[in-house]
Amino acid sequence: MAEVKPDEISAILRKQLSGYENEVDIYDVGTVLQVGDGIARVYGLSKVMASELVEFPNDVFGMVLNLDEDSVGCVLFGESTLVKEGDTVKRTKRVASMPVGEEMLGRVITPLGIPVDGKGAINSVKYSPIERKALGVIQRQPVKEPLQTGIAAIDAMIPIGRGQRELIIGDRQTGKTAVAVDTIINQKYTHTEVAKKLGINPVYCIYVAVGQKSSTIAQVVAKLQEHGAMDYTAVINASASEPAPLQFIAPYSGATLGEYFRDNGKHALVIYDDLSKQAAAYRELSLLLRRPPGREAYPGDVFYLHSRLLERASKLSDELGGGSLTALPIIETQQGDVSAYIPTNVISITDGQIYLETNLFNAGVRPAINVGISVSRVGGNAQIKAMKKVAGSLKLDLAQYRELEAFAKFGSDLDKATQRTLSKGARLVELLKQGQYAPLPVEKQVVSIYIGTSGILEEIPVSEVKRFEKEIHEYIEVNYNNIYESIRKEKQLNDEIINNINKAAKEMLNVFKSHA
Amino acid sequence: MSTYKVSYRYASSLLNSAIEKNALDDVSKDMGLISTTLEENNQLILALCNPIIKPNIKLTILEAIFKSRINSETMNFLRFLIEKKRENLLEDIAKIFLVLRDEKLGIVNVSVKTVVKFTNDQVDLFKINLEKLLQKKVRLNFSVEPNVIGGFIAQVGDTVYDASLKHQLELLKKQFLLGGPALN
Repeated sequence: MAEVKPDEISAILRKQLSGYENEVDIYDVGTVLQVGDGIARVYGLSKVMASELVEFPNDVFGMVLNLDEDSVGCVLFGESTLVKEGDTVKRTKRVASMPVGEEMLGRVITPLGIPVDGKGAINSVKYSPIERKALGVIQRQPVKEPLQTGIAAIDAMIPIGRGQRELIIGDRQTGKTAVAVDTIINQKYTHTEVAKKLGINPVYCIYVAVGQKSSTIAQVVAKLQEHGAMDYTAVINASASEPAPLQFIAPYSGATLGEYFRDNGKHALVIYDDLSKQAAAYRELSLLLRRPPGREAYPGDVFYLHSRLLERASKLSDELGGGSLTALPIIETQQGDVSAYIPTNVISITDGQIYLETNLFNAGVRPAINVGISVSRVGGNAQIKAMKKVAGSLKLDLAQYRELEAFAKFGSDLDKATQRTLSKGARLVELLKQGQYAPLPVEKQVVSIYIGTSGILEEIPVSEVKRFEKEIHEYIEVNYNNIYESIRKEKQLNDEIINNINKAAKEMLNVFKSHA
Repeated sequence: MSTYKVSYRYASSLLNSAIEKNALDDVSKDMGLISTTLEENNQLILALCNPIIKPNIKLTILEAIFKSRINSETMNFLRFLIEKKRENLLEDIAKIFLVLRDEKLGIVNVSVKTVVKFTNDQVDLFKINLEKLLQKKVRLNFSVEPNVIGGFIAQVGDTVYDASLKHQLELLKKQFLLGGPALN
């Protein structure tokens, strides 16, 4: 049995006590006048700053939002039942801030940086303010590197670049979170040695959950863990049971953590899931603070709320290290109504949007992306050349298919050309279906889309398309592995590669047919 | 909140006019008297706030209570208040007046909490040191509070100078708990 020596204990105690100063402590205080609904009005605190953290008794923290003539309006980050009238409030002399650093990766934290995953304390030394002004023009450069989501439909037609802000919008139960989680999982390849050799920088991910069920978050975290994605991901959790102020600041905390990576020349991806709930939380506390309500009872600065958040996503100039912060905000619409207040605001702020539709989802097109109205305004510059080449004809084919889709019901009365367009379109739609948690690397996406657009699939029934795709990937991996390698390295499709793909496809087709 | 603005305005005008007429000491004494009287007599406040009671009756009441005790300047001010129908703010005005006067004269109120009562020597020493620190004249209000445990807590306005054992123990506790399980 190991014994604990008394002098060992006293040494530890001495060490703990050494940093302790026996001097007069000077701090500013105020008195709680009124408390309730997560809001406290405080008398005193005369030199307090806007958005400064203040400390209430029982370890409840608050943030100053209103500075009035004779009182200060605070929002509480804890239980308002723990605060009573007449309690003393202390200034902390720091604006609401959170600890940042690589230690956050793999952890689940609150918006104030306190771990909630039971894995012990986070020993970070650096604090950053939660609200920061976005960078100006000089510090930025255009988006130029791709951020691969691993979802073929998105990477081909709605490409996302590092530093972009791409909105994911759709009704409930359309797979918005699934797209986001798949994107996180797909960043795993950027952390591998292979990617390093190819000059692909690792992307660190931050998943901000606002107003969600704790069970959903636990599920997401479990899935990320299962796919080894938690090693480079931090989850910021402000679940539905958390007070509204915490839900309100959660996205800003996410941006702050992302900015830490960006400012150190690294690449970060932040997912805000979802901003409609954040807007609702902000509305709640604005109304409680008696700010005048506007459209849909949101306060007047709800546009600024989101614009200042999303403006923080950026691609830094090379002088500043060339880091990037990509933002994927999520908005939940009600009954497909994108003309509501918050959706229109966020659509206008972001550099494009991915529409997810219930109808498509129910029809079995998953991910249920409506590629007709989804756009990416800047991501095109970030696509690799090979993808650009095959995606051009894919977009065209699908557009033609959508135009003729209504005629599909008439079946055989159509002319040959129309029938061909329809059958090709149907195969392409089938090809773009993809399972959850099964991201596809970009070289495989290129091959898939090439075989779709070049008409190789025409001889295969629609129901067999997915199987054929899977098998041709395996076939190429075994027999023509140089195809993948050269797409990865050269990032373009030259004639030799195209010939090789055609050859492989023909061989595969023969095998496939003979076994059918 | 809007009444604060009004009271502030009346109080600062009264202060300025008192300084002009060289009657600051008298007026301050009167306002102190009015403030304590109102604080102790809720009925008087209710009467002043009551809109049913006619202004001339309110004036008679105030005159009956204060006329023999206060300066004519102050009495004029009370008349003026009733004329302007602001008599309901009298209590606030009196309080704000005293605060403004202290500000003008460079006096700060310091409330000091200790476990045991200071001796006179200690009080003098404390006062001298505090005045040196704050660069202002101080008016000390002592109170004895056992839960301070040791040392003292001095509050100047919103700023607390905390040299109490209680606070140090709290800090120690916090330091030990640092990095422990989640707060809140």
